[in-house]
Amino acid sequence: MRTQDKFRIIFSFLLCLCNLVPSAQNKKDSVTGITPAITFSYLNSNDTIILTANIFDKKETGVFAIKNAVIEFSASGDNETRNLGQAKADEEGNAIIKLPVASGLPQDKDGKTTYFAKFSGKGKYQPAMGTFSAKFARITVNFSKEDSLSFILVTATQIDHKGVVNPIQKEKVVVYVPRLFNLLKIGEIDLDMAGTGKVEYPGRLVGDSLGNIMVIARIEENDTYGNVQGQSSISWGIPKQYYLAEKPTRELWTPIAPIWMIVTLIIMLTGVWAHYIYAVIQLVKIKQISKRKPE
Amino acid sequence: MENKDTKEKLLREFAPQLEKTSSVTLVWILFLLGVIGWGVYAFVAQVTKGHIVTGMRDNVVWGIYIVNFIFFMGMSYSGAIISGTLQLFRTEWRKPIIRMAEYLAIISLLIGPGYILLCIGRLDRLYYLALFGRIQSPITWDVIAISTDIFGCLIFLYLSILRDIASLRDFSELKIPAWRKKVYSVLALGYTGTPEQEKRLRRATDIMATMVIAIAIIVYSVLAWIFSVTLQPGWHSTIFGPYFVIAAVYSGTGVLIIAMWVFRKVYRLDQYITRKHFVAMGVLMVVLAALFGYFTFSDYLTKWYGSEKNDESLIRILFTEYYWPFIFSNYIGVLIPLLVVGIPKLRTITNITLSALVVIVALWFNRYLIVIPTLESPYLPIQDSRPEWTNYSGTWVEFALMAAGVALFCLLFTLASKFVPVMNVSEMSEGPKAEPSELFKAEESLL
Repeated sequence: MRTQDKFRIIFSFLLCLCNLVPSAQNKKDSVTGITPAITFSYLNSNDTIILTANIFDKKETGVFAIKNAVIEFSASGDNETRNLGQAKADEEGNAIIKLPVASGLPQDKDGKTTYFAKFSGKGKYQPAMGTFSAKFARITVNFSKEDSLSFILVTATQIDHKGVVNPIQKEKVVVYVPRLFNLLKIGEIDLDMAGTGKVEYPGRLVGDSLGNIMVIARIEENDTYGNVQGQSSISWGIPKQYYLAEKPTRELWTPIAPIWMIVTLIIMLTGVWAHYIYAVIQLVKIKQISKRKPE
Repeated sequence: MENKDTKEKLLREFAPQLEKTSSVTLVWILFLLGVIGWGVYAFVAQVTKGHIVTGMRDNVVWGIYIVNFIFFMGMSYSGAIISGTLQLFRTEWRKPIIRMAEYLAIISLLIGPGYILLCIGRLDRLYYLALFGRIQSPITWDVIAISTDIFGCLIFLYLSILRDIASLRDFSELKIPAWRKKVYSVLALGYTGTPEQEKRLRRATDIMATMVIAIAIIVYSVLAWIFSVTLQPGWHSTIFGPYFVIAAVYSGTGVLIIAMWVFRKVYRLDQYITRKHFVAMGVLMVVLAALFGYFTFSDYLTKWYGSEKNDESLIRILFTEYYWPFIFSNYIGVLIPLLVVGIPKLRTITNITLSALVVIVALWFNRYLIVIPTLESPYLPIQDSRPEWTNYSGTWVEFALMAAGVALFCLLFTLASKFVPVMNVSEMSEGPKAEPSELFKAEESLL
């Protein structure tokens, strides 16, 4: 066998192999189905629990959200499992449910509630489930002034299964103010034994037109409490001055263009069109000359 | 003064172009109509299905359409500047090629703005621009500037072809239908070449030549300002106005050289359009290549050295994702004409034409690189921005409409050459020493 033929056979074999591998993978997918993954996040914000389940299919080529997947949420304690409702995943695969704390959720003896996000499977997608456990907690934000300084006071508490309120001790709380695109971190607090802490308000922060500013305090990604958020508003912000143009400028809302622009435009257009008219007059005169009788 | 015998000889020579359409030309016209038809089909698809059939999305809101708009407008301004300058300076070698520059100016100007209309999502609201247009908006400046330019170029073209139209009206040997004779007769305005008529025509032509140069510079600067008044990386540049003007004349010179080559071949004009004309245009192209290279280098050097975050990101994209188009448009597109025209042995008609072709393609990519990578690296983040929205690639609809625009350009050029000769017969029948421009006469009288 010639060397050239050998290479041809090896090349053909490799080509077949390349074609076979993905098709085998596809076949496997169609027979066994795809098991989606669910990531579960929990946020307790001002006595509202927000459960977000993100459902996706993780492939070698990337992560693909499974939109319109129906997720059933439930919560369980030592003695009871309660159905919380269901939500459909959006384009990014997020199914979100909001629960008022007043509804009361089942707890175990440590005061923890275990949350479940369950996908029952549909079409090529196999069933999947995500769980998360968290103790119910609450953060309150208050404000105080001492001499010329302003402080943000944070109190964090937890409620056990008997309804007894206890302080959250030695945990870290991050304090933010919301800005245009994201939250701006303005300080961190280590809670004391009474579950309280304070941080100085930095000042020079712009609020709304009345100077109101929202302050958010968060315990983040905590193993016991998950994400807990408390927020409160105070009028310590610098009132936002909506810019009003004294003279007409280029803004969309100004009714008229600046004078310099109008003058420039008029001069230029007059100059140009005057020359055009002059040229056209010359053409008219050429026509008139042709009509004259030769002398 | 015109030499009557020379003029008749020239008219006799050009008459077949106007009288007959060869089968090859007919096939060529049918082919162009076919391409235009493909474009119409794509346009219908875009109108019925919406802009989703194009590659434009929330981030990259401008694509090939705007690139073609800039490109065609550039060719138009180039035609205006070249023809206006040659007219004013009474350059002797202008005579066989000035008409092509005039055609280039007006035909490109008629096609270019069409691409802006293709970008507009709600064409049914186009008249809002007239009703609620704001002078503060650069888009309004462009609308005013382009419409003014169209009128100016039409008047200039009409003045330039008037003497030839009169000659065709009076040329009894021309075998054309009666309606065409009638059209020539009406358009000639009774011009018979009396000294007074000639004086008025020259005066009007010179004034319009000055005007079209000035307007071309202003209008193309306005187009550049649409980009440079924004804070987008790659666009916010004070030199964008002159840079655009130079790039426009550079690309237009390339197109003019190609047009010269094509008409020289098709109409066998070897004795009129000679190597001398190609070299003269080649030298102009070299000067413009040097200026274009200088502006490009200056623009990117200051951006690179400034290390502004978004400029850095843009330059990184240009040197990675767009490496070859960037090298082609800004290095090869500048160096090729410099080498071809700079080295005497390489200075042949074919080589100059090929380098002009390289220049045209390079300048098209230059405009693409100005528009697309900047939009792919936006200055402000957009909420809910998806990867498929930040990367642009043209679709068949956009390429079909681009091909249709090029085909329409070729078709109009072909049809124009069938109406009035592609060379200025009246000027070519004059002696080598023509009347100086009215402007220079005024200058002399002052001195």
